[in-house]
Amino acid sequence: MATLLHVNGKRHSVDVPADTPLLWVLRETLGLTGTKFGCGIAQCGACTVHLNGVATRACVTPIAAVGTAAVTTIEGLSPNGAHPVQQAWIAEDVAQCGYCQAGQVMSASALLARTPQPTDAEIDTAMRGNLCRCGTYVRIRAAIHRAAQAKHG
Amino acid sequence: MADTVDRRSFIRVVATTTGALAVGVLSASDVARAGSRHASSAALSAFIEIDTDGRVSIFAKNPEIGTGVKTSLPMLIAEELDVDWRMVRVVQADFASKYGDQFTGGSTAIWDNFLPLRQAGAAARYMLVAAAATRWQVDASDCTTASGVVIHAASQRRLAYGDIAGDAARLTAPPTELKLKDPSAFRIIGKRVPVVDAHEIITGRAHYGLDASVPNMLIACIARAPFGSKVVSFDATAARAVQGVVRVVQVTSTGDASAQAEGVAVLASTTWAAMKGRNALRVTWSPAPDDASSATLERRFREALAGTGTVIRNDGDVDNALTSAAKVVEAVYELPFLAHVPMEPMHYLADVRADRAEVWGSTQVPGNVARRVASIAGIKPSAVTVHMDRMGGGFGRRLADDYACEAAFLSKAAGCPVKVVWTREDDVQHDFYRPAGHHRIRAGLSSNGRVTAWAQHLANTSRYAFAQNGRPPENSELYPQDFPVGCVPNARLEYSSVATSIRIGAWRSTLHSANAFAVESFIDELAHAAQRDPVQFRLELLGDARAMPYADHGGPTFDTGRLAAVITDAAQRSGWPGKKTAGRALGFASHFTFGTYVALVADVSVTRGMIKVHRVTASVDCGTVVNALGAEAQVQSGIMEGLSSALFGEILVDAGIVRQHNFNDYRLLRIDEAPAIDIRLIKSTSEPRGLGEPAVPPVAPALANAIYAIAGKRIRRLPLQKNLAL
Repeated sequence: MATLLHVNGKRHSVDVPADTPLLWVLRETLGLTGTKFGCGIAQCGACTVHLNGVATRACVTPIAAVGTAAVTTIEGLSPNGAHPVQQAWIAEDVAQCGYCQAGQVMSASALLARTPQPTDAEIDTAMRGNLCRCGTYVRIRAAIHRAAQAKHG
Repeated sequence: MADTVDRRSFIRVVATTTGALAVGVLSASDVARAGSRHASSAALSAFIEIDTDGRVSIFAKNPEIGTGVKTSLPMLIAEELDVDWRMVRVVQADFASKYGDQFTGGSTAIWDNFLPLRQAGAAARYMLVAAAATRWQVDASDCTTASGVVIHAASQRRLAYGDIAGDAARLTAPPTELKLKDPSAFRIIGKRVPVVDAHEIITGRAHYGLDASVPNMLIACIARAPFGSKVVSFDATAARAVQGVVRVVQVTSTGDASAQAEGVAVLASTTWAAMKGRNALRVTWSPAPDDASSATLERRFREALAGTGTVIRNDGDVDNALTSAAKVVEAVYELPFLAHVPMEPMHYLADVRADRAEVWGSTQVPGNVARRVASIAGIKPSAVTVHMDRMGGGFGRRLADDYACEAAFLSKAAGCPVKVVWTREDDVQHDFYRPAGHHRIRAGLSSNGRVTAWAQHLANTSRYAFAQNGRPPENSELYPQDFPVGCVPNARLEYSSVATSIRIGAWRSTLHSANAFAVESFIDELAHAAQRDPVQFRLELLGDARAMPYADHGGPTFDTGRLAAVITDAAQRSGWPGKKTAGRALGFASHFTFGTYVALVADVSVTRGMIKVHRVTASVDCGTVVNALGAEAQVQSGIMEGLSSALFGEILVDAGIVRQHNFNDYRLLRIDEAPAIDIRLIKSTSEPRGLGEPAVPPVAPALANAIYAIAGKRIRRLPLQKNLAL
């Protein structure tokens, strides 16, 4: 049965079983491979996307549950990486392997949208669902503060 | 993660490659434009292409798992080529013999390529200068270069590299190795250079192995046998009924435990269908052998330590020294299996045909993959095309190529391209784990607090024994020249190999991470027993600054003075020994491995049984630093790795089945648990050494030593959080 999806400002009709996680629809049906598979049980955050602006784990979100929500993936966060969080990630040289960073950027951008000047404690709460196996946490924290300043200034 | 024997052969290969590089770079005949990517560019070597507009493409030869080699290795070429870094575009090389050895492991990338890649850059520069001099009819020795331009100062003439690259590509080789820049002239080496793929990564455009896709491919998920078990029978009726499932294939092991595991694969048109189909399989496995259970292995470690092992070093008369010691201290340290769990799960895509094969995916060892796939496909390794993309971490897991074997096996069986995809549960439960084992250490102290005897016996599950590679099992596990042996007059090291059917592999920093926990915790115990400050105690144990022979990976020497220098630096910068406050203290540890000296101070508190690490102060001497930004990242990463595994890491196995499943029960450090990190890289012009791994080993003992200082409780079994509570 065809499901209508709104992804990055475009409408797509996809014909997949209703229990298919949004993650695999993005990656395999729509070819948006920036959203990553890490655990499949919402424990690592590599698959984080925005549903109506809210950070959501795509690996445990069945396509049937997405409905009319606007889905934003890393590819649609900004034209050509211009979002302050993306710019801050480059400025702080956060990435090592880089695999988790799309999910980190999506969680951080959702945090800053609702909390423009987060404290370290607020960063911890918002970001503790995003694992980084390379251990880039020190630079992630610095990048979020940098992005907050850039948005503020 | 190479060992002694690997290491020696690796050096030989590199030495050969060095010569080949110089010739290859400079031979005129086949450097032609045929090899270049664009009609308007000239290939000066396998590593360098220069466009007519002056843009320089540098090929990154090694697999990028996150250690930054895709950035740092091209920096070496660009430095001697004498171009500005902003002119450089880095291109990931696929696997090909023209690049020499392509491998990521053993913290070897910078160290092994520091001179060869600089020679490659210098050779290309030499050719460009020669081409300009010919055109100008001047002596090449009167020409200089700067920022991608050849300059003849006397006539004030300049030619951009792009204008003469075509001429240069037709020139002949310089007769000998070229003189390289003096470090004082470095303009790129030592600078802070961001990751070259940063923009692609944060926009989701960076391509990773798991993203690979080709037309008509099927996705496979495999139900793998418990360790040591085989398929007895299976019922795939329900699996075949899943929408999208195309076929079910039994995977047979060759008996080589490092290749594909025994199992049953479900091939489907989508990953979700393959996962659902796999979960619907009903497989009956044969019973696992008793060496595939943690409890049995723990008992065998204890039994082995009650006896004697293979003596791998024996200095002086240990037994006599222990008998005559003023005080004897003894302790047993217990290490669990550890999983690698890189963020990108295992996967591999293979398209095996009758006469060739093409493969894509994440591997630290593309050469091994080519050989393995060729063997399965029944073709020559040269008929295998191995594509390389970024990888979502490695940590040693991708030194094994079992998953590539699976993909090749299934592609051959199905007659179409097959991408094997592992779930996180597959990854946690079918890894090649860091060995589990027990250390017993006994030491004698004299009445004035000197260490007079050191007797250490390790019993563990050797990865060499598991791999059945014919090498002595102790060689991958206990290193006979590791401190403090060599600094104690009477010392004996013994090793006992305990066989297991559980898969064993190399984990970031190999056994150094386990051994340093035992040794550096025990040295702390000795310091307390001698009523000495642990830092002063170490410095006295090290003695006068001197270079001692070190034949293992990281040699050829171990310089006690360089270790003492990082110990002193870390202690000073951390405010060691710190103020005594309730529930909070500093812990110290240091270690030498992969040629690099690391000292750490951990600022730790324990509140209601919960360990919190506030700050880690690190002092690191890795010789010359190529990319300061990347080097700091590697040290941060190693410390976080050490914290994560020391606090939480433990794999337990019952009858061949791993008890942990995913990140819910195989815990990793999260951002709210990450401490501040203060790093100093010691300024040095010594040859560069490894940095991907050396920060890991001292972390666990630094934490354990801090916890002892806080609570008076000595934790001798990892992981710390669980065993503090017990």
